[in-house]
Amino acid sequence: MKAAAFDYVKPKALSDALSLLEQGGDDARLIAGGQTLLATLNMRLSEPSILIDITDLAELKGISVVGDKLRIGALVTHTEIEDSDLVAKHAPLLKAAAPHIAHRAIRNLGTWGGSLAYGDPAAEWPACSLSLQATMVIHGPTGERKISAKDFFIDLYTTSLEPDEILVATEIPLAKSHQVFYFHELARRHGDYAVAGLAAVAEKEGNVLTQCAFTFFSVSTTPVMATAAQEILNGQPLNEGLIAKAVAAARKEIDAIADITNSAEAKTHLIGVLLERSLKHFIA
Amino acid sequence: MELNGEQLIAAPIPEVWKGLNDIDVLAKSIPGCEEISRISPEEIHAKVMFKIGPVRARFSGKLLLSDIVPDQSCSMAFEGSGGAAGFAKGRSRVELKAAEGGTLIAYTTEASIGGKLGQIGGRLISASAKKIADDFFQKFAKELGGEAVALESGAGDE
Repeated sequence: MKAAAFDYVKPKALSDALSLLEQGGDDARLIAGGQTLLATLNMRLSEPSILIDITDLAELKGISVVGDKLRIGALVTHTEIEDSDLVAKHAPLLKAAAPHIAHRAIRNLGTWGGSLAYGDPAAEWPACSLSLQATMVIHGPTGERKISAKDFFIDLYTTSLEPDEILVATEIPLAKSHQVFYFHELARRHGDYAVAGLAAVAEKEGNVLTQCAFTFFSVSTTPVMATAAQEILNGQPLNEGLIAKAVAAARKEIDAIADITNSAEAKTHLIGVLLERSLKHFIA
Repeated sequence: MELNGEQLIAAPIPEVWKGLNDIDVLAKSIPGCEEISRISPEEIHAKVMFKIGPVRARFSGKLLLSDIVPDQSCSMAFEGSGGAAGFAKGRSRVELKAAEGGTLIAYTTEASIGGKLGQIGGRLISASAKKIADDFFQKFAKELGGEAVALESGAGDE
């Protein structure tokens, strides 16, 4: 199928993009990589009257270290993250996660900001940004505001982004030398949406983990952190008994939602499987 | 798809019943409701714009009420067409019970969604339906001047 007719504009400045967005209201849609939007348009599941192409906006580009933060522009593609030395050094969780996103052709076009702004509960980046305590940098008609990832993802496909705002970049605290990372997802085939996935970050000394951040995705309406399991793990020597306790807590605290092929029970089970694998990986 | 849940609304049963049967209240409570009209006591027609993530689908549909026991329960059958996006149809049963702090609304729904929305959106259709139901009860409770408390809601694919 082909998309319905729409107008197309490609502003050169962020301020122009913002005013176009404000004028267009709900009939305007931002387009960057287009890996979700174009499929939706071609299927005529959405018929906006104007597309605002933001790929010329310089403020949204590039990966850089600013102070003690890694700044990733919203237009940075999944491939750029996968291949970036800065990301490998300062946010290794993202490098580990990138190959799980669909396939290379999609990663060449799809963007970091697009994935975060859609807030698909099965997507990798929202979960990673939660575990990494990322901060979203947002521009709107009244200027810039910043919001933490944990307040950004509100509900299914719903973020705190207002219709007249643009996600510009994300700031991530630089990885510390004693931080450990684990990323894994269970999918039927490589490139499919995960049945369940885990993005984990912790600080490790000997066999003790602290500052645990275990975010599960594709199990609920948003990525969800296993806070009860984290509390059990923080500061305690990691052993079989503690792992079993944390696994039971994670399965209990997360209210998994079924999808078309997997029951809530199956997802709850996989939450435990992923947590156990990550902890055994950290201990090894 | 199945969608079942219970909601506590801080209002007495007669008020909740009246609200559920008042198309002005429904018009303000149904997320994305653009038009609603009562054709007969048992038949309601509506146009609704569903906005979930990247999808915008305008559905026009009808609702047929049956087994109406005032202040207690009713059944409804619904079907809607979203043009190129697909269609939805199903049945729902709603029961009201007095509870501490207001009225307990218990609902069970069975629905099937077909067409492109079913194929493409299938992965998250249950979660979407749950979100729409939760939004509806939040707005509905607000219309009646209170807050909705979701006691239990679960969506499943069968």
